Amino acid sequence: MDTIYTLILVPMVYLAFFVFFAGIIWRITALIRKPKLPTTLKIYPEKKPAILWALTDTFFLPGVRRNNPVLWFFLMVFHLCLLLLFIGHLELVWDLPMFQMIPHEIFLGNGFLGIILSVSLLFFLFRRFISPTKDLSVPEDYFVLILLFLTVIFGSEMDWARRWYAYEEMGPAEYRAYLQTLLAFKPDIGDVNISGHSFMLVLHVFFGNLFLMVFPFSNLMHSIFAIPLNKLRRG
Amino acid sequence: MDKQLQDKLLELFTGKLSRQVQLYLDTCSRCGVCSDTCHVYASMPIPKYTPAYRAEVVRRIFKKYFKAQGKLLPVLGEAKILDETALDELKEAAYSCTGCRRCMVYCPFGIDTQQIMSIAKLLLIGANSEPEILTMLADMSISKGESIEESKERFIEGLKRLETDVIDKWKIKAGKTPIPTDAQNADILYVALAGAHSIVPAAAIFNAAGENWSLSFFEAVNFGAFVGDPAKTKLISDRIVNEAKRLKVKEVSICECGTAFRVMKHLSGPQPFKVSSLTEVHARYLREGRIKLDQSKFDLPVTYHDPCQMARNAGVIDDPRFILQHLTDDFREMAPDPKYNWCCGGGGGLVALGEETLDFRMKSARVKADQVKKTGAKILATACENCHTQLSDLNDHYKMNVEVKFLSSMVADALVH
Repeated sequence: MDTIYTLILVPMVYLAFFVFFAGIIWRITALIRKPKLPTTLKIYPEKKPAILWALTDTFFLPGVRRNNPVLWFFLMVFHLCLLLLFIGHLELVWDLPMFQMIPHEIFLGNGFLGIILSVSLLFFLFRRFISPTKDLSVPEDYFVLILLFLTVIFGSEMDWARRWYAYEEMGPAEYRAYLQTLLAFKPDIGDVNISGHSFMLVLHVFFGNLFLMVFPFSNLMHSIFAIPLNKLRRG
Repeated sequence: MDKQLQDKLLELFTGKLSRQVQLYLDTCSRCGVCSDTCHVYASMPIPKYTPAYRAEVVRRIFKKYFKAQGKLLPVLGEAKILDETALDELKEAAYSCTGCRRCMVYCPFGIDTQQIMSIAKLLLIGANSEPEILTMLADMSISKGESIEESKERFIEGLKRLETDVIDKWKIKAGKTPIPTDAQNADILYVALAGAHSIVPAAAIFNAAGENWSLSFFEAVNFGAFVGDPAKTKLISDRIVNEAKRLKVKEVSICECGTAFRVMKHLSGPQPFKVSSLTEVHARYLREGRIKLDQSKFDLPVTYHDPCQMARNAGVIDDPRFILQHLTDDFREMAPDPKYNWCCGGGGGLVALGEETLDFRMKSARVKADQVKKTGAKILATACENCHTQLSDLNDHYKMNVEVKFLSSMVADALVH
């Protein structure tokens, strides 16, 4: 079991990050090498400055809000929580004073971010069981949602176990120690391999690794392509 | 499908993969937001009529042949082999889409379904499976461009027969030609459609404004764009570009034909002359006081259908409304914002296919008919030949009880001295 834990917590993490960054760079390079269409594809009426409107479209999804306010609510909440969780993970590695302008305990969100994300992901998943979204969906769409759900649920459980059920022996200090050894390329999983809920961490990291490796080859790339696409629409 | 044809089609596909198109193909998350933004799905809720489904028909082939995921794990994205069944699906997708780009307004990524459907159309041409009539019409336009000298005389004779009608609408000084052609250094080269309705009112208005204009020998309509053949689209628009260069005109004004206008204005690259729609020219005349209109001419409530290729896709939005302010006191908007206006259901070559598509056109545009009825208007104005034909068909089919009119003919009828 120890070997499996080690494999997931060390080499697989390195592999996942390598695939993630290399994959994204490869995808973007492949795109940039394509010839650019010389004509405009924008939608009128025009609003200037186009880039600001494109950013508004990307981050506030006005078209979705107009068409489907419930989906819009879940999308906004989901992506906002995802951003906060990303910040939370950065704070696990480093002290980032700029995020502490609003003082908070690390890990951010008191465990609620995980609940909101899980509910949103279940909403996204179940709406794919209803036509016409059902007819549009391909296995990749379910796969990515389930993968993300599993990553979130095991990650949150660690937080919930510590906060709500007083499993104090493993917390942010131990995570930070582990992550910093990874960053320094002197991996040591000693601190995170001792607790009764270490298996949650291992599963969280396992699904997280898979998620990172799938990312560049799936529709998750929408997170990177959304801004240039919205810019095309705004001209 | 034999290997040779498949290779040929994949080569055509590769040729379409610009950076923009690749972004569109790479990105859809199949959220389904676009579904009921399409008039076809909104009128007939069948999943194959959602924009994302149509795009997915092309995207599945893209995944199969151009993506690592589709090559290694085709089941993940349901990557699909390009075969006869795929061609049938491509045809259904491409010719149930009017290219109105309403879905693009709502899509969180702004995916342009029309661009993706242009791949489908090109593959159909490559496999000789496109609607033949469109290719035939495109070829006729091109051959007319090649042998214009032979038909010039007949064309001018035809125009002579229209002169009285033009003068009936607006008297001109003796000795002036009511419908000038081949006029060097004209300020405007007007490109009309075949048919008096596209020439007579426009000529009367040009004359009323004292314009130094010339009528093009060519029709504006671009069947190459309808059938999705980039080479033919260019040949057809080049006829007009060359004529404009030869005559050294300052401006080319395209008649009430949405596709022709968008192709010339936005999809043909920069030109050495200004490109404007007839509607924009008329609005300019009004602003400059070069023509005056009788506002009491139409005493019935008027609504205006924004042709997708003119408004949402080419930006002619305020000018028709400005003109209508001079034509009626009772103008009624159809949609709260023109970019959300429903398509008439006739674009993308569907009207040009005539009776063959009539049943589909009527069923797929129920939402348009409802939208028109809701305004309570009795006159339905528009500025596109395709829209006019489709709206007239809808008027009969859904008993909309309106009179469908070209905006230019309303302007011509309301001219005052």
